[in-house]
Amino acid sequence: MKSALKNPYIYLMFVLPTIVLYFMFFIYPTITSFYYGFTNWDGLNDKAFIGLDNFVNAFKDAEFRNSIWNNLIILLFSTCIQVPLIVIFSLLISSVKRFQGFYKTTVFMPSILSTSIIGILWGYIYNPDVGLLNSILKTFGVDTIYWLAEPKLAMFSILVTNAWQWMGFYIVLILAAILAIPKDIDEAAMIDGATGVQRAWYLTVPLIKPIINVVIMLSIAGALRVVDIVLVMTGGGPAGSTDVMASYMVNKAIKFGDYGYGSALSIIIFAIALILTALYQLLIARRQERIEY
Amino acid sequence: MKKKLTSVLAASVAMSAVLAGCGSNNDNNNAASPSASASASPSASASASASPSASASEPAKVDPFSMTVRHIQIGEPRKFRLAILNSVLDNVKKDVPEVTFELDGVEDSVNRFTKLPAEMAAGNPPKIFSLFAGAGDAQKYAKAGRLLDLTPIIDELGLKDKFLSVLDPWSVDGKVYGLPIGGNTEGVFYNKDLFAKYNLEAPTTWDALIKAADTFKKNGITPIAVGSKAGWVPNMFVNTLIGRIAGENTNAGFITGEAKWNSPDVVSAYQQYADFEKAGYFTKGELGKTYDDMLNDFIAGKAGMMFDGSWRNSAFTDQKDAEGKPAIGAALAGKVSYIALAPVPNGKGDQTAMNANYAEGYGFSADLNDSELAVVKSFIKNLYSDEMQLRGLLEDGVLPSMKLSDESLAKVTNPLLKEVLDALKNASKTFPHFDQIVQSKVYSETETQLQKLIAGKATAQQVGDAIQKVQDAENAASAK
Repeated sequence: MKSALKNPYIYLMFVLPTIVLYFMFFIYPTITSFYYGFTNWDGLNDKAFIGLDNFVNAFKDAEFRNSIWNNLIILLFSTCIQVPLIVIFSLLISSVKRFQGFYKTTVFMPSILSTSIIGILWGYIYNPDVGLLNSILKTFGVDTIYWLAEPKLAMFSILVTNAWQWMGFYIVLILAAILAIPKDIDEAAMIDGATGVQRAWYLTVPLIKPIINVVIMLSIAGALRVVDIVLVMTGGGPAGSTDVMASYMVNKAIKFGDYGYGSALSIIIFAIALILTALYQLLIARRQERIEY
Repeated sequence: MKKKLTSVLAASVAMSAVLAGCGSNNDNNNAASPSASASASPSASASASASPSASASEPAKVDPFSMTVRHIQIGEPRKFRLAILNSVLDNVKKDVPEVTFELDGVEDSVNRFTKLPAEMAAGNPPKIFSLFAGAGDAQKYAKAGRLLDLTPIIDELGLKDKFLSVLDPWSVDGKVYGLPIGGNTEGVFYNKDLFAKYNLEAPTTWDALIKAADTFKKNGITPIAVGSKAGWVPNMFVNTLIGRIAGENTNAGFITGEAKWNSPDVVSAYQQYADFEKAGYFTKGELGKTYDDMLNDFIAGKAGMMFDGSWRNSAFTDQKDAEGKPAIGAALAGKVSYIALAPVPNGKGDQTAMNANYAEGYGFSADLNDSELAVVKSFIKNLYSDEMQLRGLLEDGVLPSMKLSDESLAKVTNPLLKEVLDALKNASKTFPHFDQIVQSKVYSETETQLQKLIAGKATAQQVGDAIQKVQDAENAASAK
């Protein structure tokens, strides 16, 4: 048995099924969709190679540019507003003495729900006629607000829902980092007379910077690939105002039957995601020093 | 060492054989239940014939098999149509007892715009499926060789002369690839109680329509219910406006280049819609409302009118379904009227022409074996019969796509359905919805642009220009 485990072929045999599946469902589709991106395939008829036409059209396409812009809005919202909120909530929960487990569970709950459920749930909350939000606002005399039907509000409504879904997950990540900081550092600062805010800002936050970086990275990646919540809540509407790159791609490829163009869009999305995460890694994350207690 | 490798290999082969055995056993069990998947059926029948019980019986017998039927008869408003489909499938089972059907109900637009196109692209559509007529659907799939040519079956069953002259959008080069289950017209439903309450005349003239809309608006009632979350819903009204304002032959001219989306007439049809929008005649927040919301608003008395397809008349019937449950809008039974859109002042079209569509029906996969083909034949024979056409008309308010005798038509007692039939009878001529005429990319663009118009993000002229741009590209591509 010992000698069998030294034989590399046996290991190969165990990983082979996984490798085959990985090639079948990941590598092969990736390569073919890269190829389709340079064709005018409509899903039914013969495809012709059309060079870079799809890519040129994509950048001329005002609606695709609009969807890139929407992705950037999500990205900015999640990194500039969500992340500070996450840190603040984590700090608050970390200093709670009683029921800490209860708070942790409560904030984490949304991230174990499926996006479809969340989309439908919030669809009811936002419902203009019978929704929770408007019912509350009505008691203050506010007129009916069409959260998901008003082009200017729809994106904001989705951002709030998306934040509600994912903040808990990141809060738990950061909370773990905060609780891992040795207590004596905090106590030393307290003896020196530092206030709670000072300790949080000058001690805790610098010490959890590496994990904040991870959260920012994940937020960037999450913002670029967000699509499910959009498809469930608005389908990209009203009038394309909540279309993100991926939902626009899905509509183009599946609904319009333009698989060539859709594949080209997917390559562009991939490139944008790659560039943004690489930029963040090179410019910001690399400069961080490792922290040792 | 080598020995061990061999034994491990042998063991894994044995394991996989055992697993495969479990797999086919499962298939075998599933085949009997209606939930069996279509793809499992070939292997299921194979393993069934290998089993001792099957080989003991006479060998000529066809093994049990299952077929998927994709339909769009889901939800409360379509339950009468589902009942008819079920009766048809029961009849088919009498002809071909070996078959079990797996009913796959999918929402209309999801089937038409998402699921079926993807299946057609992959080449694995269901065997029997709900299909839409026209250049963007049936004709496109027929040209790609995905649909069964029904011409020989129609000839064999003697159905050729039974259909009204409605098979053109289902045909390519004289061959028929799909059959409409019925027809519809699109027009105005209005709530007679609300009209009476505010002393309003029926909206048979443009002035009466405007007066009614203004009165409703003043009293906090939505004049015209609409749910524009899906673009096809407001497109119904636009289609009739184009017929009224630009002429009833305009639609047919888009693909030949004789008519243009950005011509002044078509643009003024869009402008008319934008004017209604600006006047606040449509449901507030309509871009967030679904098609079902539109019906619910109308049933709840929140709206005085709605522009919808005649198929909706079955929602306002007082007859009960098979389970004894009332129709969704039973409370409004007898209180709703249906008329053609009033003549539009200065419209260029024949102002008594009416939209009529025979676009919803069934198509069949080109990839069928002999026993499946027998099922398809039986399905066509049972569905496209005088009996089912009459049931469709009486129970579901769907206009027949086949010639019915006057005697049969006289059985219609539902007053709303009579109004639908009268509206169509009084129309000087009929014109189809452009969604059966233009290419699918153009149609998608009409939805996108109309929603922009509703959101106030584009003017009527910009809408026309944008759609025409796609139309030009598509016309050029098909001319190649």
